[in-house]
Amino acid sequence: MENIKWLWSIMDKKYRKWHILALCISAVSSLMLLINPTLQKRLVDEVIVAQNPEPLLGILFTMLAVKFFHEGIRYFMVITLEKSSQNVIYNLRVRLFTRLQNQDTRFFDRNRTGDVMTRMSADTDWCRHFLSYIDYAAIDSVVMFLSTSIYLFWINWKLALALVCVTPMLMLITKVYSKGVRKLFMAMRERQSEMNAAAQENIAANRVIKAFAREEHEKEAFDKRSSAFREAHLNINKRWLTFFPFIEILANAMTLITVFFGGFLMIQGEMTAGDLTVFTSLSWALSVPMRQLGNLLNDWQRFITCSNKVMELEVAKPDIVDAPDAVDHERIKGEIEFRNVSFSHDKAPVLKDVSFKVAPGKTLAIMGPTGSGKTTIIQLLARCYEVKEGEILVDGCPIKRWKLNQLRDGIGTATQDVFLFSDTVEGNIAFGDQELAEEQVQDFARRAAAGDFIEELSDGYDTIVGERGVGLSGGQKQRIALARALAVQPGILIMDDTTSAVDMETEQYIQQQLRELPYDCTKIIIAQRISSVKEADEILILQDGAIAERGTHEELLKNRGYYYETFCLQNGIDIDDAKEAN
Amino acid sequence: MARNKFDVDESLESPFDAGHLKRTLHYIGRHKWKMLLALLLSACASIAGLFSPKITEHVLNVIVPNKAADQLIPMALAYLGIISISIVFTVIRSRMMAKVSQDIIYDIRKDLFAHLQRLPFSYYDSRPAGKILVRVINYVNSVSDILSNGIINAILEIINVLFIVVFMYATEPTLATVVVAGLPVFVAFIMFIKPRQRKAWQNQSNKNSNYNAYLAESIDGVRVSQLFARQEVNISIMQKLAIACRKAWMRAIYISNSVWVTSQGITQLVYTLLYIAGVYWLGGGIIAFGTILAMGQYLNRFWQPITNLANIYNSFVNNMAYLERIFETMDEPVVVDDKPGATTLPEITGEVAFEHINFGYEEGQTVLEDMNLHVKAGESIALVGPTGAGKSTIVNLLCRFYNLRGGRILLTDESGVKHDITDVTIHSLRTQLGIMLQDSFIFTGTLMDNIRYGRLNATDEEVRQAAAVVRADDFIQEMPEKYATSVNERGSSLSQGQRQLIAFARTLLSDPRILILDEATSSIDTKTEKLLQDGIQALLKGRTSFIIAHRLSTIKNCDRILYIGNKGIMEAGSHDELMAKKGAYYELYTAQAREQGVNI
Repeated sequence: MENIKWLWSIMDKKYRKWHILALCISAVSSLMLLINPTLQKRLVDEVIVAQNPEPLLGILFTMLAVKFFHEGIRYFMVITLEKSSQNVIYNLRVRLFTRLQNQDTRFFDRNRTGDVMTRMSADTDWCRHFLSYIDYAAIDSVVMFLSTSIYLFWINWKLALALVCVTPMLMLITKVYSKGVRKLFMAMRERQSEMNAAAQENIAANRVIKAFAREEHEKEAFDKRSSAFREAHLNINKRWLTFFPFIEILANAMTLITVFFGGFLMIQGEMTAGDLTVFTSLSWALSVPMRQLGNLLNDWQRFITCSNKVMELEVAKPDIVDAPDAVDHERIKGEIEFRNVSFSHDKAPVLKDVSFKVAPGKTLAIMGPTGSGKTTIIQLLARCYEVKEGEILVDGCPIKRWKLNQLRDGIGTATQDVFLFSDTVEGNIAFGDQELAEEQVQDFARRAAAGDFIEELSDGYDTIVGERGVGLSGGQKQRIALARALAVQPGILIMDDTTSAVDMETEQYIQQQLRELPYDCTKIIIAQRISSVKEADEILILQDGAIAERGTHEELLKNRGYYYETFCLQNGIDIDDAKEAN
Repeated sequence: MARNKFDVDESLESPFDAGHLKRTLHYIGRHKWKMLLALLLSACASIAGLFSPKITEHVLNVIVPNKAADQLIPMALAYLGIISISIVFTVIRSRMMAKVSQDIIYDIRKDLFAHLQRLPFSYYDSRPAGKILVRVINYVNSVSDILSNGIINAILEIINVLFIVVFMYATEPTLATVVVAGLPVFVAFIMFIKPRQRKAWQNQSNKNSNYNAYLAESIDGVRVSQLFARQEVNISIMQKLAIACRKAWMRAIYISNSVWVTSQGITQLVYTLLYIAGVYWLGGGIIAFGTILAMGQYLNRFWQPITNLANIYNSFVNNMAYLERIFETMDEPVVVDDKPGATTLPEITGEVAFEHINFGYEEGQTVLEDMNLHVKAGESIALVGPTGAGKSTIVNLLCRFYNLRGGRILLTDESGVKHDITDVTIHSLRTQLGIMLQDSFIFTGTLMDNIRYGRLNATDEEVRQAAAVVRADDFIQEMPEKYATSVNERGSSLSQGQRQLIAFARTLLSDPRILILDEATSSIDTKTEKLLQDGIQALLKGRTSFIIAHRLSTIKNCDRILYIGNKGIMEAGSHDELMAKKGAYYELYTAQAREQGVNI
């Protein structure tokens, strides 16, 4: 019931009344099914038996009109239900998508794309199925069963009571069935999600798979998932078939009781032949809903399973949201301060007591061993994770009191793991600013040293690059990602290992361009190459999450620490020789 | 390359035709005996079902008027008996058909997936992953029922119809003709609506695929979207796609639902005509009571299966839109494939010859032109040069990720025989090459599994050794669960550099004769890289290696350095030779040194 309430709350008000109207039509049209059999009886009695053609046309056209009217309102009903269920699924999709778009990084660390996809597609589709089918089919069945029962009670209460006696048994059976089958539906749902995730990952990993010639292994692994999915389906079917005979026998019991108990009553003289004919001609109206019940039960269980998954996704609120006392800011000026920031990932410490301050327009460089926490620093700055210890300030205001969008709008990041969208090159560069003029796109592309190769692409800036920028070399992707970051004209520009796959000459060009940007910005550069960081105003050396060295290029060289070692290694200078020379 | 993006419908190149039908039958054919049996069981259940009205008729016409109450119980038991038989048959059929339908799904999915494994990079490069995913998962699920139960029910209904027609004509041919006369009208309607209906469902599947593609991409790229505060724009794009889905769905629903409305309407019209004909038309007088009653019943029993058939047909048309897509994917040409009669590549020495290589990714574009290169076994080769010059292309060609436009690549085996890479199986070729790609992909699973992907039968100890050589062991030991730590595809628990180390260990573990490192260490700090290089020195002995890198310190010690540019190799030689030459490499090296602030 909770699930229905939830679905109902998602429907737009104007569709709600239509939906209710349609459900009423469903009830009315089920009742109308009783009209034509009655008219048919009159046709037989008054025309055929009485050999009198006079009422024929009248009755026939009434029947025709009833039928046409019935089909007409049924069509209207189906369309109305489809419309309102489409409204719900649309709203649901938008809600879920919005929720996902604003979901924490931590959420995406934990949930696989394939699973989220299952929730957003197959699971939401069952919510639609409930509103466009299960609900009215249930009403149809209930109305048909109840109205027929009442009618029959009116004719002969003893026989009708005998028929209705079956109902509690039916309820018992459905209860036992529902209890056990829920688990099975959940299992099937999980198998489907796992299969989905496996396929999705396989597609994403197609290059690695080919490189290792692991196609057979992948096929085996996927087959396992695929057959687990099949087994899960068959388990449900097995369970259903153990209950199906009982439901079927109960449905047939309707005819059985009518004929035999009714026959007995007639023999006892408690019932007329005419009354019994009414019972026999209507026993279908009791058995059909009972059979239907079985199907609806399965649909219902599946709906519950799927809608729970969707609800989970919808209620999973992100932790990182705008604070109630968030302040409105103008454009970021670019002052950054980390005050004693410590951070842990699943209890594994990543950053330890990191403090630094960058004045607007200055350049900070961060260097350090793999896994020392460099990327974490910029993720914290953009509030992808929440800092628990210490404080981060931008323009003198703690980032927790910034509006999230204003903060992130002001930060342009060229990420390390380059993700491009399956869009044109131009669309990718203008990703953060849709309004960007074409000349500007080209200008920023040139500044990122991407202009030349883009122009050589088959359709220039209109070339569609594949998802994740497949088809471009690593260095080309990095340059597009840099252009994308430059194009938002941020107050803080972050380059996370942005030029690692770019050749030296190009890097030199890019650095020149960065000095001549048409706007002011603070720059944070994460890199492994000395050439990338040496001009920074301050260089931080991060080791095991703590700042081990800091200073300018010259200062750090004199320091003879990690930076100096790296410098020597990169330039083929033997450290021992160098030490001797000094 | 014509690329598809999320908001572009994929045009369907091969409409449903006889060929598709044949393939559909191929999947069904495997289960033909089971399906035949199911058909028989259903028929038996129907026949058993026919007896139950006989019993009720007997009770009402004979037993009750005779007041023979003692006969009621045996009759009731007989009735129950018949029902039980019918139920047993139905249960068996349902169980069998559930298996058949699940087997059909499984088979189609298996073949589709297997084919996807063979498709070249360019297939994956030219469309969003979400669109491929939808075919493997959603479409296959959709078609199963229609291919199993749908077919059986259709056959049963057709038999039903035929029986009823015979019965009707036996009863009263003229009235029978009236009943059947409605059929051409209905068929004409179906014919009229079919192309529209098909188009509508195809359109719906297109829109759905677009939506799914965008969804998948948005989830994968959500970090970028958030960093660029792009949520609002993304939501409005998504809304547009969802509205398109809704519109397409509603249109398909409008059309599809008109089918049953029409069939019901025609049934009632025929009913009306039947009575009018029966009463007025036939011989002036009113026709016999029994006949017209019987015809009225037959009419329902004729039109009910017709309506059912229309419904089956309806869902058949809907699902064809999916089946077409599935077959289309299965028909996607495998560009890089084993030649007929391709042999297994024997163990190679590592000697490689590139002869007159011509290559371009797209028509009219040339990346390499008449490139020649001979690499001795055990030689280490560095490839340098500007981005996009074709460094990765050379190693991609060696792995046969793409077919050459001209020329050939030869590998020498242990007995000195040279093999053209197109003459041997792709599997035997690639398992002897170890390539580490620029994008270091991490699979969902443990770190152990991720490294073991390089050699599936490696022991834990071997995995650990490989990790230790590339210095990945150090950080893995610090992880909460060490090698058993779970990681996932895009999870942030590993830094980019750590991912590269894992990928590196994976490649080393595969124990290749030829090792290819494409920007393998770009995100790894110099110190770790140095340790790593020292570590792999021993391993590299006797193996041929190709190393692509921008940090010149990484490549300085290679036996031969190739400067790639101008569609081929511009300079080749050792570091010292190339420096003496004062050409492009010299320029590159001195520029880098200058940048680093070193005086040479």
